Amino acid sequence: MSYDIVIVGAGGGGMYAALEAVRRNPALKIAVITKVYPTRSHTSAAQGGVNAALANTDKSDTVDLHIFDTVKGSDYLADQDSAAYLCEQAPILIRELENLGAPFSRLADGSIAQRPFGGASKYRCCYCADKTGLTILQTLYEQCLRYGIQFFNEYFLLSLEQEDGVAKGVIALDIRTSKIRKFEGKTVILATGGYGKMYWHRSSNAAGLTGDGGAACLRAGMALKDMEFVQFHPTGLRKSGLLVTEGARGEGGYLINNKGERFMSRYAPEKMELGPRDLVSRSVETEIREGRGFDSTAGQYIHLDLRHLGADLIKSRLPQIRELCIQFEGVDPINEPIPIRPTAHYSMGGIDCNTACETSVKGVYAVGEGACVSVHGANRLGGNSLLEILVFGKRAGMEAADLASKLPAAKISDQRLKDQEEHIAGFYGKNQAERYDVIRTELGTSLADNAGIYRSKELGEKGLSEILALRERFKKVKVADHSKTFNTNLMQVLELGNMLDLAVCVAKGAAAREESRGSHSRIDFPVRDDQNWHKHSIFHMNAEGEVSLSFKPVTMGKFELQERKY
Amino acid sequence: MEDKREITFNVLCFNPEVDEKAYFKSYDVVLEKGITVLRALNYIKDHVDPSLTLRFFCQAGICGSCAIRINGVSKLACTTQVWEELEVSKSKDTITVEPLRNFEVMRDLVVNIDPMVEKLKKYKSWVIPATKDADLGKKECTVMPEEFEPINPATDCILCAACYSECTINEGSNQQFISPLVMLRAYRMNKDTRDTVGEERLKVLVEDHGIWDCTHCYRCVQSCVKNIPIMDAIQGLREETFARGMTNSEGARHALAFKDDTMKLGRLNEFTLPLRTLGMFGAVGQIPFAIKMGLKGRVPPLLPHKISTRKQVQTMLEEVERDSKKSH
Ligand SMILES: Cc1cc2nc3c(=O)[nH]c(=O)nc-3n(C[C@H](O)[C@H](O)[C@H](O)COP(=O)(O)OP(=O)(O)OC[C@H]3O[C@@H](n4cnc5c(N)ncnc54)[C@H](O)[C@@H]3O)c2cc1C
Repeated sequence: MSYDIVIVGAGGGGMYAALEAVRRNPALKIAVITKVYPTRSHTSAAQGGVNAALANTDKSDTVDLHIFDTVKGSDYLADQDSAAYLCEQAPILIRELENLGAPFSRLADGSIAQRPFGGASKYRCCYCADKTGLTILQTLYEQCLRYGIQFFNEYFLLSLEQEDGVAKGVIALDIRTSKIRKFEGKTVILATGGYGKMYWHRSSNAAGLTGDGGAACLRAGMALKDMEFVQFHPTGLRKSGLLVTEGARGEGGYLINNKGERFMSRYAPEKMELGPRDLVSRSVETEIREGRGFDSTAGQYIHLDLRHLGADLIKSRLPQIRELCIQFEGVDPINEPIPIRPTAHYSMGGIDCNTACETSVKGVYAVGEGACVSVHGANRLGGNSLLEILVFGKRAGMEAADLASKLPAAKISDQRLKDQEEHIAGFYGKNQAERYDVIRTELGTSLADNAGIYRSKELGEKGLSEILALRERFKKVKVADHSKTFNTNLMQVLELGNMLDLAVCVAKGAAAREESRGSHSRIDFPVRDDQNWHKHSIFHMNAEGEVSLSFKPVTMGKFELQERKY
Repeated sequence: MEDKREITFNVLCFNPEVDEKAYFKSYDVVLEKGITVLRALNYIKDHVDPSLTLRFFCQAGICGSCAIRINGVSKLACTTQVWEELEVSKSKDTITVEPLRNFEVMRDLVVNIDPMVEKLKKYKSWVIPATKDADLGKKECTVMPEEFEPINPATDCILCAACYSECTINEGSNQQFISPLVMLRAYRMNKDTRDTVGEERLKVLVEDHGIWDCTHCYRCVQSCVKNIPIMDAIQGLREETFARGMTNSEGARHALAFKDDTMKLGRLNEFTLPLRTLGMFGAVGQIPFAIKMGLKGRVPPLLPHKISTRKQVQTMLEEVERDSKKSH
């Protein structure tokens, strides 16, 4: 089948792109491919909200303040043209989404309510109770159904096809039948979400946030950017990695080690448990590394103790956190401390693209958490990532629609289809003996230990060599389920392969960047070094699978480099 | 020390490539306290049987992928604790896991939810806003907090399809029935002050297999993983048909006749009810059914008696009417 636009991913980013494209030109043939049903996408997990300087709650907010907060939050690694576009478009996008039926919570006068959020200087975050991402995703899905967007649900992206720097489409596998098919497209929009699941049991992400789009780009000879920047959250549940939000500490929860000490007194004697996220993450990690954590089959952890707050307060002020702990961890915080540890939460890096979502291949666009525009730089602000998928989703849809109407139909050769078939057949071979779940767990552990909250040259290089070794073992990995029908075992193996390719980039970047900036924290280089490192990391992979690292300048604008202090 | 137990999972498996019909596979595993059913099933998939097939994604109770039947009840595997489930299990240390009902099984615990999506389309489950396309994004619509309130619970829905699976009318109608979650969406759209096609939507909603077919068994409400009062939405839609004067449908006529009888007799006149609901031609179609009932000695009285507690019934009805007027 031949299309004008092939969109891979049906989270907020992919669906906004589809909507914009179809509204711009209803005659276009658009296919949206997604490995899970659209409303299952991880956009649904976002609770907090989405930033826009509407100035509804605080009349003194401005777009400029939003840009400044974003650039400062990024530790000055964001490209300022992109950050400016993000924040300028924000009010328009939020209103547009609202006009289309998104149920935002309201102020008494009927306008969209806004609340404070980490790193923002004003009340700027629009929300719908604690279900902002869910309601945005549902609204976009509803509108896509309204416009008759054609979804290919439960199709898995295998490869991005390009010839001489021009988009040709993608090859994907129908999960229900294991049939491999072409989606020829004049333009392709990749909106496949983040790669935070490579930290596996140390991640808050959905099972499928495995960076599939980025991996397809790497294999197609395209660049990824700033992959070493991964944001951690200090209090993930031990077993699931799900977040226990700041609320628990805000109400007076204690962090306690195996000696019964409130150890934050050593790291932040004044603020204690309420220190900034990255500091609390590092403190918890240090306690665990120095042997003051608790042991369990799910790994080492620390206690977040709420018991002294009493049952009444917990029930009235923290009902959702209590429910989360009971449902996912089987622990009632009224009677027991909550087992927690830092968890990988958001991937700042991704497919290298510019403010127009363009990549190095003509007709291939990238958007969302899987892309790196870059608006988050070294550290994303809460509420800016939902905004990113709306603003750049729309932009990508616009750009692709306009370009597609000028290009001739694209063709993918049958040989490419055969290559993919062979690649997959390889996993069923006689000599395949490695277990995917073992490699996956080792990958998560190695990344968390060596390219996690704490990094150093030594750790980074150790991590890199471990991951390369895992990648060698992966060549012998086995798909044990031979069925053609809904073979989830095969999916897991394909996802693991993608995570391994991207993990090489993460570890390589973590080992190379000799400074501390945003989420990237080096023991051996504890301060930011603008002289040598105010630049983006760029990753390429050659046909042999070797990853190389180069650099690219940051686009500056209104705001000069400053120390980042809160 | 961690609390551990040996647990048996009986999983209803089916692979259309090789199996003629579904059968139970048993897995014995040792698990620690605090594990969810989803983690347990994934443990089995990783360590015991890689062919075990299920859907899951967010693992946080928000994406709706992992809805299955656990000990006979449709719910999310990722928010269900194994230990708690064991307390309600029929046989000790055993948990039964089956795919959702009312869908075709594709493999093991994976069902084909496309018919649900088709119903979302059929009933226009989207807002068509008053704002013209060219004006989108220019200014916010004003939605007062009290206008937002009625749609708020409905927007908790994650389309997990637990209610779809539990719905008895869905089952009885061979899945032709609109189903609870689609009615919930319709209600949410119709209550949205920004929407413009309420009446159009309602016209489809009152057709066969639509809102009047629900028999209030409340299974959807009981099984909703987000505790949404779905029945309120169904009633809300029905009330809206009256508010819009759309009384010319089977369901509406039935409801009116029902109310009429209750007011006059304190009970139903079952003999004339079909006539008033279905009209002359429709009622004629019921004759074979009536004859069968007659043969079984189950014919309603031709001239029903007024019942002795009629006054009380009428007072109740008046109360309800007053109440429902107040809440609008
Ligand atoms: C717990 C949590 C809370 C968050 N809270 C907030 C918040 O309050 N505010 C905020 O701004 N941000 C928040 N975020 C971040 C934000 O939700 C995400 O960055 C954003 O939703 C990503 O959207 P996306 O469209 O890029 O990708 P996703 O929504 O992840 O969608 C990815 C899509 O790609 C598809 N896909 C992936 N791989 C393939 C493949 N191989 N083949 C076919 N399809 C594929 C998937 O099926 C899916 O449809 C939060 C994130 C998490 C994890």
